[in-house]
Amino acid sequence: MTARTDESTNALHPSASVEARLAALEVAHQQALREIAELKGRDTLKTQFLANISHDLRTPLTAIITHAEILREGILGELSTRQHESIAGIISGGRRLLEMVGEILTYARGAANQLEIAPTEVAVGDVIEQVRRLNESLVARKELCLEIRVASDVPRVIADREKLAHILGNLLGNAIDFTPAGGRVWIRASRQHEEDRDTVLVEVGDSGIGIAADHHELIFQEFAQVDASASRQHHGTGLGLTIARRLVELHGGRIWLESELGHGSRFFFTIPTQHQA
Amino acid sequence: MTKEDTRPLVLIVDDSPHVTGPLRILFEETGRRVVVAASIVSAVRACETERPDLMLLDVSLPDGDGLSVLEILHGTRALPPVTVALTGHDDDLTVQRCRAAGCRDVLLKPVPVRDLLRHAAEWIPERVVSA
Ligand SMILES: Nc1ncnc2c1ncn2[C@@H]1O[C@H](COP(=O)(O)OP(=O)(O)OP(=O)(O)O)[C@@H](O)[C@H]1O
Ligand SMILES: [Mg+2]
Repeated sequence: MTARTDESTNALHPSASVEARLAALEVAHQQALREIAELKGRDTLKTQFLANISHDLRTPLTAIITHAEILREGILGELSTRQHESIAGIISGGRRLLEMVGEILTYARGAANQLEIAPTEVAVGDVIEQVRRLNESLVARKELCLEIRVASDVPRVIADREKLAHILGNLLGNAIDFTPAGGRVWIRASRQHEEDRDTVLVEVGDSGIGIAADHHELIFQEFAQVDASASRQHHGTGLGLTIARRLVELHGGRIWLESELGHGSRFFFTIPTQHQA
Repeated sequence: MTKEDTRPLVLIVDDSPHVTGPLRILFEETGRRVVVAASIVSAVRACETERPDLMLLDVSLPDGDGLSVLEILHGTRALPPVTVALTGHDDDLTVQRCRAAGCRDVLLKPVPVRDLLRHAAEWIPERVVSA
């Protein structure tokens, strides 16, 4: 009915020549490339914004914590028991917030490919012990049984100690969070040989609520939580596993899980004994 | 003759009042004097004119790498006897870099007040009071 139509929009009309159709395809392709480039640009801006804002959030937060610690130490005068309790609340709330801001910063740096590892020779058992100590009081409070087993032949790895502790901390934190009181949590490390290289295999497991197979992929995505409803019991950033995966991959390792809803979870990751940059 | 103030002097180098504010209170309330500098240039000047007994040094300053304060003063009498680095990063390489530049210790921000109090006495030996 239309007398004249725009070639590019109607090139797939049966009457259009093959040449015209190819030309139209090329136009659409270029258009898609431009859109992808623009979206990538926006994503980069957003990531950069996240990195900047979380850095700027840190500084005033550290001021709050330092002031509160000065009060706690009694430098400005003796405190009553109640004042002590109140200040302890400011410090622990502030530290928790600082941790979350730190997670966002690490995530944003990772997404912008700005995370680097500083590898040195590390004994995995020592890092596990460090992380265990940090979580001791949480484990005790929930009356969980935490078992640690490091095989005697586990070799040293070339890794970034701090980042290894970060991976373990995020996995153990989840195991503790998602296991009801009285349950079991464990960390195991053993030597592995895969694809003609030596690795250390670490398992962080729990007897907790478990994860349905449908969600095994999802939970590694940024901000993803199985229960994302406003009424959810667990509060966090949903970045713990995204960061853990990023850090494992930076070391040249792999991370995966075995879990069923209601039957606990086992997270595994490997760290090659030699760092391949 | 005016009596000289013999309280030890702490130079705090950081560009954020969020960091220097509480630290000033901490040191002044525990018997020390405090001077603040917010850049490499003003830190170097402060070392030359004030001769601090202890310098707390932020490793990232608006005009560059904080550790260059130590580099610039290296071998001069203005180099503070003890420098402690303040950093936002806790990786082994940052720690090694600070130590190699001559820092006695490396503290991660937020500066742990208990550690500061515990170590302050060994970092700042009491001044020998001349007769
Ligand atoms: N051990 C586990 N048992 C059961 N569910 C888990 C376990 N670990 C992770 N999950 C699920 O995966 C989701 C994502 O975990 P992730 O660590 O990435 O974020 P988060 O724990 O929700 O937040 P944050 O780590 O900041 O506290 C969790 O919200 C939870 O639904
Ligand atoms: Mg988590």
